[in-house]
This record gives sequence, C-alpha cells and structure tokens, in this order.
Amino acid sequence: MPYFGSEETVKELKRALSNPHVQADRLRYKNYITKVIRYMTQGLDVSALFMDMVKASATVDIVQKKLVYLYMCTYASDKPDLALLAINTLRKDCADPNPMVRGLALRNMCNFRMPGMPEYIEQPIVAGLRDKASYVRRVAVLGCAKMHSLQPNTDIDGSIVNELYALLRDPDPVVVVNCLRALEEILKDEGGVVINKPIAHHLLNRMKDLDSWAQSEVLTFLLRYRPRSDDELFDILSLLDAFLQSAHAHVAVATLRLFLHLASAHPAVQADALLRTSAPLLATCGAASRELRFAGLCHVQQVMRSQPGLFATHYKRFFCGYSEPSYIKFRKMEILVELVNDENVALVLEELRSYCTDVSPELAQAAIAAIGRIARTYSEKCLDILTGLLALKQDHITSAVTQTFRDLVWFCPQSTAAVCQTVEACVDNPQDSEGKQALLWLLGEHGEQISSAPYVMEGYIDGLKTELSSAVKMELLSASVKMFLCRPAETQDMLGRLLHYCIEEESDMCVRDRALLYYRLLQRGVEETRKVVTGPKSDPSMSVLTGRQEEPISLWASTFNTLGPLSGWDLCLQTAVISASEPSGSAENELLPGSTDVALSSPNDTQEEISLSLGPPLSHETFEKMWLDLEILHRQTLGFPRPKTASDTLQAALQLVKIQTLAFTPGDAVPWKAYLYTRGTGTLILAELLQEVPEAPDSEGSLVVSVKQHPKNQQTIRGFVLILKSVLQTLNVDPL
Amino acid sequence: MIHSLFLVNASGDIFLEKHWKSVVSRSVCDYFFEALERATEPENVPPVIPTPHHYLINVLRHRIYFVAVIQSEVPPLFVIEFLHRVVDTFQDYFGVCTEAAIKDNVVVVYELLEEMLDNGFPLATESNILKELIKPPTILRTVVNTITGSTNVGEQLPTGQLSVVPWRRTGVKYTNNEAYFDVVEEIDAIIDKSGSTITAEIQGVIDACVKLTGMPDLTLSFMNPRLLDDVSFHPCVRFKRWEAERILSFIPPDGNFRLLSYHVSSQNLVAIPVYVKHNISFREGSSQGRFELTLGPKQTMGKVVESVLVSSQLPRGVLNANLNPSQGTYTFDPVTKLLSWDVGKINPQKLPSLKGSVSLQAGASKPDENPTINIQFKIQQLAISGLKVNRLDMYGEKYKPFKGIKYMTKAGKFQVRT
Repeated sequence: MPYFGSEETVKELKRALSNPHVQADRLRYKNYITKVIRYMTQGLDVSALFMDMVKASATVDIVQKKLVYLYMCTYASDKPDLALLAINTLRKDCADPNPMVRGLALRNMCNFRMPGMPEYIEQPIVAGLRDKASYVRRVAVLGCAKMHSLQPNTDIDGSIVNELYALLRDPDPVVVVNCLRALEEILKDEGGVVINKPIAHHLLNRMKDLDSWAQSEVLTFLLRYRPRSDDELFDILSLLDAFLQSAHAHVAVATLRLFLHLASAHPAVQADALLRTSAPLLATCGAASRELRFAGLCHVQQVMRSQPGLFATHYKRFFCGYSEPSYIKFRKMEILVELVNDENVALVLEELRSYCTDVSPELAQAAIAAIGRIARTYSEKCLDILTGLLALKQDHITSAVTQTFRDLVWFCPQSTAAVCQTVEACVDNPQDSEGKQALLWLLGEHGEQISSAPYVMEGYIDGLKTELSSAVKMELLSASVKMFLCRPAETQDMLGRLLHYCIEEESDMCVRDRALLYYRLLQRGVEETRKVVTGPKSDPSMSVLTGRQEEPISLWASTFNTLGPLSGWDLCLQTAVISASEPSGSAENELLPGSTDVALSSPNDTQEEISLSLGPPLSHETFEKMWLDLEILHRQTLGFPRPKTASDTLQAALQLVKIQTLAFTPGDAVPWKAYLYTRGTGTLILAELLQEVPEAPDSEGSLVVSVKQHPKNQQTIRGFVLILKSVLQTLNVDPL
Repeated sequence: MIHSLFLVNASGDIFLEKHWKSVVSRSVCDYFFEALERATEPENVPPVIPTPHHYLINVLRHRIYFVAVIQSEVPPLFVIEFLHRVVDTFQDYFGVCTEAAIKDNVVVVYELLEEMLDNGFPLATESNILKELIKPPTILRTVVNTITGSTNVGEQLPTGQLSVVPWRRTGVKYTNNEAYFDVVEEIDAIIDKSGSTITAEIQGVIDACVKLTGMPDLTLSFMNPRLLDDVSFHPCVRFKRWEAERILSFIPPDGNFRLLSYHVSSQNLVAIPVYVKHNISFREGSSQGRFELTLGPKQTMGKVVESVLVSSQLPRGVLNANLNPSQGTYTFDPVTKLLSWDVGKINPQKLPSLKGSVSLQAGASKPDENPTINIQFKIQQLAISGLKVNRLDMYGEKYKPFKGIKYMTKAGKFQVRT
C-alpha cells in the first residue's frame, strides 16, 4: 500500500533510529521501534530499515526484542543476506540465562522463511530439545517441524525423529503434544506419526494433564490405533469415559468420534456413547455463540441419521429464535422435520407455520417445504395449514405451496383428492416458473379430479407469447397432452393451438422438438399415445410407508467432527470426487489385478433370478457420499468395449432391467465413465463403468465394472453383474 | 492447523493479519467477501466456507469477523472455540474488543497471538498463564511504564507450569485476602401470543475473583445442588467430590476465573420474571394501526426488575410510530423500522406502558405477521433458578479471608411473540 509520503516517513524513521541520542534514551528508542511495527502492520514497506532494526535487537528489554523479531520475520525472506547478520544475535540469545529469551529467539529464528536457514538453526534446536526449561523445549520441538518444512525434499533426519519419539515421555504435557504435532508433519509422506501400543497407552494416561486443545488433538491421533483385544478396548473406553461429557464441546465430540470408531463392532457401546454425549451436544446447540450453535446442530443432524429418537423429547430446543441467522434456522427446520412424532406434531406444525410468513422468502419457502415433508406422514393437519397459507396471497408463498403439493402427491398418492380440491379452490396462481411448472404438472396429472383444470390451462396457453421460461412451456406441453387423454372434448382445441404455436413460432429448439414429438405421437393414434404417456411409473410411496431407515453408524462416523457436514455436502464432495476419482480409477485397477474375476464370474453359477427394482430415486449427493464411504466389493473386466449406441439408448435399456443411470461421461470422451445404481433383495448396489484409454490406438479398451453395495450380499452382486453384462452385450451386438 | 488469521471489520476491510506457517495471500479472503455479499444480513455469513485450496472458518463478534485459514481437515468445533477464546482474551486484556482497541494495542495483540499459537497449534490459552507472560495494558501501568521505562512483559517464566497445581502459581501474597463469587444467570425464553412459555432455559455461570495468599483449598456448597443440569467446571474442581457429595472442592487459580457454568433446562420449571400485555393490530385498508404494550413483573420473588429495554422490529410497511410511554423514552428508526423503548425500572404499583398508533404506508397491504418483542432486563440479588450458595470454607491456610457472594439475573434471548 504505497501511499503518499511513505518514503519520507521511512527516511525520517531511519534518521531517528540511527541517531545516537535516541539510541541512548531507551524509551524514545523503543517508541520509534513501535512506530516502525505499526507502519508495518498497516502495510507500509519499511524493509529499508532492516539494518537499524537488527542493531536494535541487542537489548535486554524483552518487548523490544519481540518487536524486532516480529519485524525480522516479516522481512527476512525479502532480504536474506541482511537477515544472516541478525542470526548471530539470535544465536547468542539462544544461550541467554533467561529461558523466555532463549525460547523467543529460537522460535523466531525458526520462523525465518529463507533458504540456507537449516544449517544455522539445527544446532540451537538440538540444544533446545535438551533444555531444562519446558518453555524452550516446546519451542524447539515445533522448530524441528519448521526446519523440515524449510527443506521439504531432503531425507528425514533419523536422529531427530528418534529424539522426538523419546520426548513423547516428557513431563511437560505441551511438549508431549507438540512432539506429536511435529512428528506428524515430518513423517507426513510416511503416513504420519506411528501410534503403537506403548505410545497409545502413554497418551491415554496423560490425557487428564493436557489442556482441552491438546486433548482434542490426541483423541484424533488415537483414531489410528487399533486395540488388540476386547479387554484392551474396554480398558481404553473406560479411561476415556469422562471425556464424553467434557465441558468443551470439541473434546466431547472428538471423544465420541473415537468411541464410534473403536467400538464399531459393539453397537450397544456406540448407542450408549451417543446417549451420553447428547447432553453436551444439546448444550452446544444452545450456546451463546452462533457459530458454535451451528456446528452443534450439524453434529446433531449426523447423530440423528442413526438415532432419530435420541433428541425427540428435546424438540423445543430446535425452535428458531427470531434473531438467529438464516443458516441456523435452515438446519433447525431440517432437524424439526425429523423429530416429529404423534405427541409433538401439533406444536411443531404450529411453530413451522409461524416461520412461513418470515420476511426472508427463502426461509418461508424452506418452512413450507418442511411442512410438506411432515405431510407425508401427517397429511391432514399439514394440508389444512398449507391451504390456509394460500389465503395470504403472497406470490412466493403460493408458489412454494404449489411445489409442496406436487411433491406430496408424488410421494403420498392418498392425499391426491384433498390436494386437488384445494388447487381447484385456489384463485390466484403462482407467478414464478418453478411454481407454474408445479401447478401445470398437477393439472396434467390429475386433470380428471380438478374440474376447472382446462380453463386454467387455457389461460396459460393464451399467455404463451409472453412466457419466457422454456421449462414452463415444456411442462405445459406435457400437461396438455395428458389432459387431452383424459378430457379430450375440452382440451382438443387448445392443444391444437398450443402445438401449432410451439412448432411454427417457438424459437427454443428444445420446446419445438418436444412439441413435434407429441404431435407425431398423436398422429399414431390416441391409444398409442396413451400407452406411451400414461404408462406405468415407479411408485415412491412405498418408501414413505416403511418410514425412514435408520442408517448404520458407520455410514457417517468417518465424517463426524470434520468440516464436511458444516460446509454443505455438495460443494466439498464435488471437489473431492473430481480430484479423487480421476487418478484412482487406474490406481485401483493395479491394486486389484483381476483377481476377483476368478472367484466370481465362474460360468457354473446357476442363473439365480434376482429381482432388481428402482425404488426411490437417489440424489447425486447421496450417491456421491455413499460411493465415497463404501468399499469396492467386486471389480471385473467385462471383455468388450462400451456399446456405441447413443447414451439415451443405453440409459433406456438399463432402465428396462431396472438399473438407474445417475451420470455418465458425454460422447466419446476417454476415459469413459458411467455411474449406475439399483436395488435388489434388500440391498442398494452402486456401480461404476469405466473404459480406459486403449493401449494400442486401433484396439478398443475393455469396460471395467466396479461394484459397491450396502449392505453386503455377494449373491446379489453376482446377479447384478450378469444382468448388466447381458444388457451391454445385447447393445453391442445390435446397435439400434 | 490454523494457517493464518485475518481480522475483517464491518465494512469489509482487512485491518489485521497474522500468519503462522507460511504467508497466505490476502486474496484468499475474496471467497469470504463473496459470501459476505451474498448474505443479506452481516450475521448470515456461513461459519465454514470451502474454497479450492483452503477452508475459511469465521466467527463474528463485536462486529468484527475473525477469519481463520485452514489448509487441512480439522475438527470444526475446535477452531470455532479457539477463535472465540482469542476474542475472549482480547476482551479480557483491553476491556472491549473493537477495531479501535485492537489497532491501539497492536503490539500486545501480536504478542498474544504469538503466544497463543505456534506453527498453527494452540499453545497457551489460559488467561492466568498468558497474563504472566504478557501483562495487560492498563492506564495506570502505561503511566508507570512511561516514568520508569519498564515494560509489559513478565520478566519471569510463568511459574505455574512448574508448580504442582498447574493453574496456580506459587508464592502468591496479598494483604487483604478476599474471595468474591458472582452467580449470574441468563434466561433464554420464547413466549407465545397468549403468554404461555414455548421454551425457557437458564444458562448460569459462577465467576470468581479470588485473591488469597498461599495455597488455599476452598469448598463451596449449595442449598439445592440437584437443580443443576449439564454442569461444566473449571479444571481446578475435584469432580469425584462433586459426584459423590455435590460439593465444589478446589484450589482456586489466582485472580478472575469462571468456576462453573450450568444449564437449567426446560425439563425443570423455569420462572418467567416479566410478562407483557400487548395489543398490536393493523386493519386492512386503513393506514393506521394500534399499538399497546404493558409490562409487569411476575415471579420475581419481590425483587425489582431494572434496566428494562424493549425492542421490536416493526413490519416493513410501517412508516412512523406515534407513541406515548408512561415512563422512559422510546425511539423509532424509520429506516431500519426498529422500535426501542428504554423503560428503566418496573414499578409494580404503576406498570409501565407504551400506547399509541403507528402509521402505515398508504395502499400497502396489511402486514401478515405481528412483530416479535425482545426484552432485556436485570434483576439484582436474585438467581432466577433459585440456586443458593450455602457456605464457603477455606482450609490449608491460617488467615481469615473476606468472602462475598452476589446474585444477578439477566435476560439472554428473551422474546415475546405477538
């Protein structure tokens, strides 16, 4: 930030610092140094004063020393040659009788980020490791890590590593933890610090001497340790028991994570740990700081995936305060939806109802969607509330309610009649395109139950010229065709106008093609059209009846107490998937050199008929999450390239055998990939198809399929692979 | 762990930065500024912001964002709690934690940050230990320093780490030996239209100021210890003794510290000390609305409710308010639509009220939600949960200390829906 007069200021300071009178007066001298630091923090370049500042470091005043060190650390990398001059002073300070001066000098010397440093600091660091003051040892231990990061490509110094391992037994708890931190950094390439049995037990015994930060970190390090026997496991758990209810939320949560990890084979222990941590978690949700409250809520949400009932009695804690930030309110609403039961449903709905009129439209819409979710179980009460909201005649509310109705009818067909009645009675229509789409879908799908449906739709067709969104136009086309099939007399005329307009005047190709498609379909005859348009669909209502599955703890335990759940799955996972999946595809292939082929694809397998089903659709996020969490159970080279058919055909063919395609690489890109999923005999199967870059340019690579499954069932996998194989082969032989 | 720390003020300027492992360019904050722009309110910035190479974790306190730059996976609660600890320390040292205070004390701030974190790892965060390393600036000390030329830094190493009791240094001496305890309870509640309680919760703390010579061993007992849920103690408290006998037994740190914090949750009955009678109505079509509020004490055990401040965010359609308070003063900000009424004490004989009319924008439709009312208050000499200290005894030293206990109840997030 070079601003006016900066050069003058620096010159003036330089003159003052080199003035012998100033130097003689300690106080004035220090004031000038403070001034330099002040300018430095404001972004002024005062590096020209380096020489004068180095001279000022020769003092007995500790504050002055600190200031000069701070200055040197900032500019050392810009002026490496001058900084070397300062090192002598610093090395002298490292032998000072006052431990604080020794520590300070050592810490700052290690903070100089410039080449050639290690040769100067190695000797003082090694001396510092054996210093009798713990303050110096703490600094020296971390200094080892800093020294290593200054020369990242050199070999690890074995003697220092050994010394650090020995210092794990130091009487000072901070030295112990710093040793762990330093070793972790130095040994990063080798997988970090090794936690063997003696170290683990030593750390566990020291736990109560550590401060809360160190406790949390040690608990994270202990995740690496696997106890040999159940006896040892329970000894460890009983040692850690008190920390589950630590006053510091981060310690309690870290302990819980360790419990879940260690006791993965003992569900009863896990459940008990969750129960005992529920109090600190709830307290965090009510903490004074909003950030802590938010983090607490995210953790509660994760716990609820396995134990939905754990917080049911505390549902009132999740009511939103008026002044809370919206990110907290969103989370609280999500939690409330999960906590609803027969006793509290009335109160929760009343509460959510009051959020629907919130000033922020996003919040209001989220609240309405939340009511819609509850409506899948308690339809009657919710429908009353939603209908009442329509009377408010607020655009964003009407739109959100309509969308909620659409989802509700889809998931819970028994509420169709009531919804249709409400839609019919509702006078004003949504104004935004999402709301319009939802309304049109309802009209088209259930036109026979809404007597005014054709007239509403006519209004939309008449206003087509002013409609901007092509999604609405497409929805309108589909809805009109569906309506035509059930109420031909009233719809025929306007459908004709609609098709004419869309084919002749519409500029959006997608809409025009859709209109042409319907037009040609109708040309084939009404019965033919009916068969295509109103053919059987998948029915998601079953999943509602069975209720939400309690997920096993292992599904989320690995991400518990990490940043992922707080930053929103979509963002962090997308990046993780992109970076992880590209190289791993080939790496995993090498790791599993087709050995599984032999075990699984024996032709003798009697074609056990397994029935696959689609079930409720899986969102991208859930898929990604599960894909990352699960391990590959089966990998097989199929022995033929991918079918050269269009991707739609592939998708349709797979759908025919009830395998859903989630995503695939477009076109002929290599490597080509597709992600699939399906359900069969009570398990969920996820699969990846991968075609590598061929080795010889004229040959085509072979497809490799990797399968993950939850819960495991080898038989189903076998059946799935056979089905998949046969479909792909058929497509290969006979390009449609 | 924590790579860098940026301090950002309300107008979006970085006014202080500190790097530990390596220098991270200021441009990393651009992701934070993007989020800040997207958020409608300053407090709506999400606490964790992922960026391609870093995570940014921020806390907002005193209108300053403390933005930590993280390069690898960390437990989120850990970082958030640590940032709050940094803010608490600043507040402890400077009295207030404002941009001006931080800029004035920039040298101490850097000293503190340097001691609290090394290479990105938390080092010394106990206020007692920090204060021995770096003495807090006070007006008196500044004057003394200027005269004698001495400095802010302890010349000695914190001896606490070497003594048997890690939180207390050896060789403490006072001429007046005294121990004061403040029981402070904050009541968080949501009251619905009809005056019934939706949620109510008490968050209490006992803060102590102990200035005793030598190594005193204190015990503190309560009349009704079963009242407390979710208790968390200062590390000095002997937990076994509490579990067995419900007595707090401890060797106190020297000076100010928080002895324990506790919750009394909605499971127990929480007394609500004030009630509000309200009549706020807007009629369709008319440009006037009626506004009436009356406050009264309830379940205060005869104590006076004071420092009462009522605030309410009126609907957007409200143009102005023409009200008449029976006591105190009120202000209405026509831009933010914030009505605040400084009531003062509540006199049970003559209840304070605020009556009058509000004018609405002509032609605007009737607001569909009535405003929520936030209330601040204080009650001296009362712990609303009913918690009472029975006695305080000292062992291990010969002298007789002066002991004192003070109770206070405050409103936390206390809101009434209308």
